[in-house]
Amino acid sequence: MSDPLKAVEAALDDEGLFFTRDDDEDAFRVAFKSEGDRYFVVSYRDDPNFLMIGSGWALPAEIEIYDALDVANALNVRKKFVKTALWEEERDVLFTVELCINEAEEVRGHFGRLLDVLRDTAAEFFEELRDEEDEA
Amino acid sequence: MPLVRDLVAQFIQSEGHKVDIAPVDDDAGITEILFRTRGQVFSVTTYENDPGTYMVSTAYEVPDWARERGQNAETLERVNEDYPDITFLMAHDGGLFVASAQEEPGSPEAFTHAFWETVGRVREAGASAIERIVDRTESKAAAEKFINSFMRGDQ
Repeated sequence: MSDPLKAVEAALDDEGLFFTRDDDEDAFRVAFKSEGDRYFVVSYRDDPNFLMIGSGWALPAEIEIYDALDVANALNVRKKFVKTALWEEERDVLFTVELCINEAEEVRGHFGRLLDVLRDTAAEFFEELRDEEDEA
Repeated sequence: MPLVRDLVAQFIQSEGHKVDIAPVDDDAGITEILFRTRGQVFSVTTYENDPGTYMVSTAYEVPDWARERGQNAETLERVNEDYPDITFLMAHDGGLFVASAQEEPGSPEAFTHAFWETVGRVREAGASAIERIVDRTESKAAAEKFINSFMRGDQ
C-alpha cells in the first residue's frame, strides 16, 4: 500500500515546516510544529480514505467544563471543516479536521487553509473562554 | 558567546520552521533570516553589534492590474495611520511593498519571547494594506476624502 502521508509531507515542505514520522502497525502519523504549536496528521491502515489533521490542548484548571462545552458547540455550529471536542475526564480539548479522500495529493493544495482554520479555531476557543471568565 | 543570528535562527527552528540565513553585511554583522509561516515569507534582520535591535519584514506583491493606480503609495500612508509602528515601503516600481517592524526589545531573549506577536502585527498590517490596495472601491474613498476636504473649505 502506498504511503498516504507522502503528500502531507510535501505540503509541510511547501509550508517550510519541519516534521517527524511516527508510523506503527495501525497508522501512518506525522507530527509537526507551526509557530510553536504542535499538530499531528494521522491515516489508518485499515481505512486509507480517512485523514485527520489535529491539535490537542490541555484545558486550564480554572475553566468550567460546561463553559468549554458551550464554546465548543458554538464553534462546531459556526466553523467550516473543524471539529472541537472535549475529553472531560482528561480535561483535554482536541481540534480536528477529518477528511474523506481518494488520493492524499488532494490535501496538498488546501493544507495551508486547513492549518489556518485549525489555528484560528483553537485561538477563538481560548479567547472566548477568557472573555467569559473576565465577565464572570 | 553565541551569535545573535544563531540564537534567533535556533528559536525559529525550535518553533517548527525551516530557516535560510543570508549575510547582508559580514563586516557590520548584519544578517537576514528567512522563514515561511502561513504561506508568507518573513525576514528577520539581526545586528551583531546591537543585539537589542531587530527588524521583522514581509513583502506583498501588488497584482499587475493594481500597479498602475496612482494612489497605492497614498493608500500605504493611510494604512500606516492605523498601524503607526509598521513601516511600509513601495519597491520594484510599485510591483511590491514591504511591511516592517523595527523592534528594540533589548535582548535576543526578549525578542524571541514576543516573536510571534511581532510577526502577527506585521502580517495584520501587511494584509490590511494589500486588501486596501486591491480594493476597487478605493477610488470612492479618494472621492470621499476630496469631498470632505472640499466641504471643510480646504480646496
